[in-house]
Amino acid sequence: MSATRRPPSARARNDGPLVSVLLPTHNRRRYLGEALASVLRQTHQHLEIFVVRDGGQEVADVVDSFQDARVIFIDRKENRGKPYSLNEALSQARGKYIAYLDDDDVYYPHHVETLVKALEAQTECKVAYSDLYKTSCEVLPGGSRVPLSKHVEISRDFDRFLMLYFNHVLHVSLMHRRELLDKTGLYNEDLKILIDWDMTRRLAFFSDFHHVSVVTGEYYSPVGESDRISFQRRKDSQEYTRNLLTIRTTRPAKPWSKIGDLSVILLTDRVSNRTADTMLRIWRHTFYPYKLYVPLPPAEISRLNVDMPHVELVPVAPVSSMAERVDTALQRSEGDYVAIVPESLAVEEMWVENPLYALINSAGRDGVLLEGATAQSWAAVLRRSDLEQARRSYPHLSVDASLAASGIRTRRPQEEELPFQFDELLRQARAAEADGNWVTAARIFECMGERHQNALWMKTMAAHAYFKAGDRARAESLSREINRERPTVDTLLLEARMQRRKGDFDAAIHLLGRAEQVLGPDPVCPVHSAGSLCATQAESFQR
Amino acid sequence: MDTARTNSVDSHDRTQHYDVLRELGDCYTSVGDYGQAQRCYEKAASLGPDEPGPYIGLGVASLQTGKLDDAEIAFRVACRLDPKCAKAYAGLAMVAQQQQDFPQAFDLYMKSLELDTDSITALLGLFQVSCEMGSFARVIHYLEVYLEMHPGDPSVMYALSALYLKDGRPQQARDVLRNLLTLEPGNQDAANLLEEVEHVLAEAR
Repeated sequence: MSATRRPPSARARNDGPLVSVLLPTHNRRRYLGEALASVLRQTHQHLEIFVVRDGGQEVADVVDSFQDARVIFIDRKENRGKPYSLNEALSQARGKYIAYLDDDDVYYPHHVETLVKALEAQTECKVAYSDLYKTSCEVLPGGSRVPLSKHVEISRDFDRFLMLYFNHVLHVSLMHRRELLDKTGLYNEDLKILIDWDMTRRLAFFSDFHHVSVVTGEYYSPVGESDRISFQRRKDSQEYTRNLLTIRTTRPAKPWSKIGDLSVILLTDRVSNRTADTMLRIWRHTFYPYKLYVPLPPAEISRLNVDMPHVELVPVAPVSSMAERVDTALQRSEGDYVAIVPESLAVEEMWVENPLYALINSAGRDGVLLEGATAQSWAAVLRRSDLEQARRSYPHLSVDASLAASGIRTRRPQEEELPFQFDELLRQARAAEADGNWVTAARIFECMGERHQNALWMKTMAAHAYFKAGDRARAESLSREINRERPTVDTLLLEARMQRRKGDFDAAIHLLGRAEQVLGPDPVCPVHSAGSLCATQAESFQR
Repeated sequence: MDTARTNSVDSHDRTQHYDVLRELGDCYTSVGDYGQAQRCYEKAASLGPDEPGPYIGLGVASLQTGKLDDAEIAFRVACRLDPKCAKAYAGLAMVAQQQQDFPQAFDLYMKSLELDTDSITALLGLFQVSCEMGSFARVIHYLEVYLEMHPGDPSVMYALSALYLKDGRPQQARDVLRNLLTLEPGNQDAANLLEEVEHVLAEAR
């Protein structure tokens, strides 16, 4: 049982849209006050803040100490988990937008305002996210946290294909329209880990995400063993895999405005161990949303014991050809794209995503062959409309022959058409760094920034690599550009080091002072004036 | 938070705050604000208790403000944290030098040079102490070795030529000074010393 305390009369602070901030808490009483205070300090004040006690330590006194009418406290003794807590708050939320905060993290005062502005300016985008500092800290015996570093660890522009594969958006940095939940559904209460990604992945079916490259808060990471539930639970690899597969096979209710559905038609003469194995491999190795259709004679269907999601067994005539089986399955399926797969095909990671990505981004009337496809074991992914037209026009031909007759070329994907080009280049750049080839790494980073999104992040990486390579001029010019746009502790430190080497100590002190203020909480005043006769001697000593 | 870790996370996850404070302390020292420098180094020392760097900085700041006892303590802590820290020995040598204990300073500078043959602080300190003590052979050797590794370093070239002159080797002093003036035609100290050397050579003829 939970009790909700809604304040009787909220003060009018209703400039701009109402934002509902969800703050579930469990046994982090010590940090909750800081987290909640950071929400109440927001420059955008039209808020309702749901603090949900998910069992554990009592926190009523912490919440009450703020005496703020915007705070709605849901006090529940039982520990039901984070998804349950979020859903509990969402069931009462009235805001146009939903934002999230964990009980040990903090917003900067402009967090909500920054994201609201982004969403109000780009109304076709119903989801926005900012950047956060990951604050590595040492936890002292009394529980207080000493910041050791603040890095922007994740600052990646939205990539829908990547989002389907894995998460690249921090949930605390996320804000979305509440109405989207009508389409995505609520949080999945069966999940133990990767809860956040499950929701961001579903959001990606219905909206683009706007990445605002501004640091608007911090999440804490104690050095050494993390106390985060997700970290602990990831150690259980079976549970991790179970949750991963659950998420990857989640298909929100249609229509999907941003993702085309995929129908996989698995072709086999008769049910065998190999059939079951291929089906299992498709389940384990496919992250793009799909539904599997298996056309089989009724006698064979009865032999197949299916315990997988999104499988439809399609009855066909016992003596039907493979083309006829495809035609029957095609009538039953609803995907925008269709993959035709013989059971002999080797199904590995990216087996269908590679050709599918090439197809989605191709303008021509063509289909893309799957890896391992041969003349005898033909396998391809096609646009549904192309396949239907070919089959209507040439029903007596085999599938590949009917496509050829209809002028639909099937081809192998080019290397540059494959997904995750950015990640491959990133891997190459990091390998160059590991080998000490800093100039090569820097050039790759610069090239990536120009051609593959993530310009600011890549510029930052390039600046560091040029610094390591000894190209101070390039490193300085890049770090100055970055600091004009979005200064972080790392980039301020880098530019300061360059200024110091040039002998401009006042400039270095100014930059380092800004970095130190971020690292706070007890910043050293950066204001200072210049020199003394001992300066050169002291500097040479420190070199 | 469940996310793919995409941006770089370096080993300085633990040391970034320390690095900022250490750099800031060094910059304040460079502009002569030893009070601010000391505050930064003290905070850096609390974040990196095993690092000798902040203690070196504290030692330098104390040295510059004439607090020789504090400087000695700080440099000794740095030595204890890293027994191979050339800067800590050079710092202790500077303390001894200021206390007019030239033999002790000489030994400590030598120890520093053994640990870091590139230490310009130790070399120049050794030069100063040698001048005070009137013994030049060992330091000349070190300066020659240093110049073989770092040809064209004007401060060392100048010091070496001065030592050659003091050691009764004016021709070698002249050669070094001519090279130095080729590199830095406007170096007035070198020009003056060369004039003195030429005078000595002329008298000898």
